[in-house]
Amino acid sequence: MRTLAVATVWLAAVPSLRLAGQDSARIAEAQSVLAPLVEAYGVSSAEGPVREAVKRLLPTWAKSETDTAGNLWVRLGQGNPLVVFVAHMDEIGFRVTAVRDDGSLELEPRGGFIASLFEGQPALVHTGKGDVAGVFIPRDSGFTRHTPPPPRVDVGATSRAGAIARGVSLGATVTMPKQYVRLAGTRATGRSFDDRVGDAALLLALRHLDRASLKHEVIFIWSVREEIGLEGAGVAAAALGTAPRRVHAIDTFVSADSPLELPNFAVAPIGAGAVARALDNSSVTPPAYVDSLLRLARARGVALQVGTTNGGNDGSMFTPYGVVDVALGWPLRYSHSPAEVIDLKDVASLAALVRAIAESW
Amino acid sequence: MGTRRVRQHSAVSGPRFSVGTTTGALLFLFAIPLFHLRAQSLEAIALRFAGMTAVTGLEQAMTDSLLALLPGSTRDRTGNVTLTLGQGAPKRLLQCPLDEVGYVVGNITGEGYLLLRRVGARTTYPLFDQQIEGHRVTVFGSKGPVPGVVAVKSTHLTRGRVATGAPDPVFTVDNAYVDVGAATAAEARALGIDVLAPLSLAKQPLPYGDRLLAAPVAGRRAACAALAAAVQAKPKVRGTVVVAFTVQSLYASDAGLASVKALLGPFTDIKTASLPTRYTDTAVETVALADVDKLQREMVQWMEGR
Repeated sequence: MRTLAVATVWLAAVPSLRLAGQDSARIAEAQSVLAPLVEAYGVSSAEGPVREAVKRLLPTWAKSETDTAGNLWVRLGQGNPLVVFVAHMDEIGFRVTAVRDDGSLELEPRGGFIASLFEGQPALVHTGKGDVAGVFIPRDSGFTRHTPPPPRVDVGATSRAGAIARGVSLGATVTMPKQYVRLAGTRATGRSFDDRVGDAALLLALRHLDRASLKHEVIFIWSVREEIGLEGAGVAAAALGTAPRRVHAIDTFVSADSPLELPNFAVAPIGAGAVARALDNSSVTPPAYVDSLLRLARARGVALQVGTTNGGNDGSMFTPYGVVDVALGWPLRYSHSPAEVIDLKDVASLAALVRAIAESW
Repeated sequence: MGTRRVRQHSAVSGPRFSVGTTTGALLFLFAIPLFHLRAQSLEAIALRFAGMTAVTGLEQAMTDSLLALLPGSTRDRTGNVTLTLGQGAPKRLLQCPLDEVGYVVGNITGEGYLLLRRVGARTTYPLFDQQIEGHRVTVFGSKGPVPGVVAVKSTHLTRGRVATGAPDPVFTVDNAYVDVGAATAAEARALGIDVLAPLSLAKQPLPYGDRLLAAPVAGRRAACAALAAAVQAKPKVRGTVVVAFTVQSLYASDAGLASVKALLGPFTDIKTASLPTRYTDTAVETVALADVDKLQREMVQWMEGR
């Protein structure tokens, strides 16, 4: 065993990625696109591996470009109205802020999440020399549920110099090892489905859409730094100004489909299709647009739910320019945890809806 | 609870050979093809063992693996795997408890969620149960291992709903809903899951640093790996040494060790293989592989009476 580099040994008891015998072609394709995206690491401001994965999964005809912020763009079609789709590539995690004399790493969170879910778990420090394995140090006092002391990582070094020798540096991002794993039926678990499902939906839509039928220009954007304040989308919105007619943020619909959640709102069962995220903490979709969207989905035979949930979305960065934000998502259980759960039927449904919008709306 | 501190000594001082203590039998619910184990180094065996699950009292799969690994070994009526080396006096016992605190399915809801009961009471880490919240687990059903997750509230949906300073009690097993993707109890049962199916965190042994190994119960598993490797080294035993991988050390009055003593004793000396650990009883309990190497050498010497 070497001290540097990955070193994560997965002795998992079950195959992580299986194709159930009854999987339809669209479920199988959704999984084949989603799984590599989920297993790429990309904490906010370090989305490079995810961006490269997206590029690899693009159809061969697609010409992509990366802007100064790190957003990846694909443009197709011509003429007005310009319609934009945006899904973010980044995920929650940590960044190294200091290396202590004892070799342990001090961290700051990138994005909002329950920090105790990382405590006492395996860690990966993503460095320029590769991933360095370690552990999130468990607390030894102050035993509460969700309020652990400031997180630290032990990479097995006993001095600052030892940690640095392993490749650790200030600013390096930190996550925990993750894996895409199929559950029963068409369900799956992993970390960072938020928003790799959105990324996958854009890719699947691009693969299948009929470019010849496009009646106007469409831009697909895979954005950066959403989890820390919609920063990448802000750059894209400023670049496009008032040109777009609509923007479709393609992001998680955090669902109350769980025995732990209140059913007051966010009620969208997993497996029942994509969701029009008609009201969240950052935007409200004009009701007429929701109605129009529902008619389109019905005409194309796409399962679509309508609901309201918490969270912000990239599309809200476009609205100050007079662009209507029609946010779309898919239902997710246990958001921002290491054990998020989705249903692949919803991924396929969302991809079909994106395609329908690009072609027909 | 709340007074115990997680041991965080840096790469511990060395293996411990505690005399006459112990504990019972391990059930490894996670069979690994043994032809792989035979060809592997001690380090590889330690990794393999650390990836296994052996909820106390339900160690059948692991003991199956040990029987295949150690020719001549047998399983007694309690479930211990024993192997007698040498002959004559003195008659000594060298044992390694293999079991772990874990869970069994206690109920299945109409919506297909599994509810749990903890098995084994000796864990002293106050956040032991909390370590499964929001993490992947493995259910060992009658049709094989089934992946699942323990439900956790969505971060987004807690915002604005928790008052500042509100009580924040630790997560306990009674809060656990296990989601295997089933939508009904019948779907869960169709996966081979029923009441009493064992369950543990999904095991992902993690090598890190300078030959450190992190995993749940890494100390016990690495110690047992050292014992298995010591047997495979074919020591020239002084007198008789009974090697025992014991079950039920964490439950039922240490029934595994008691059974070995009753069935194969008396012994003039009893030694238990154990290793110092860091982050003890957590999901990243850590052992130094250098200590594992040393423990193996010491056990060979002990069996040879040196």
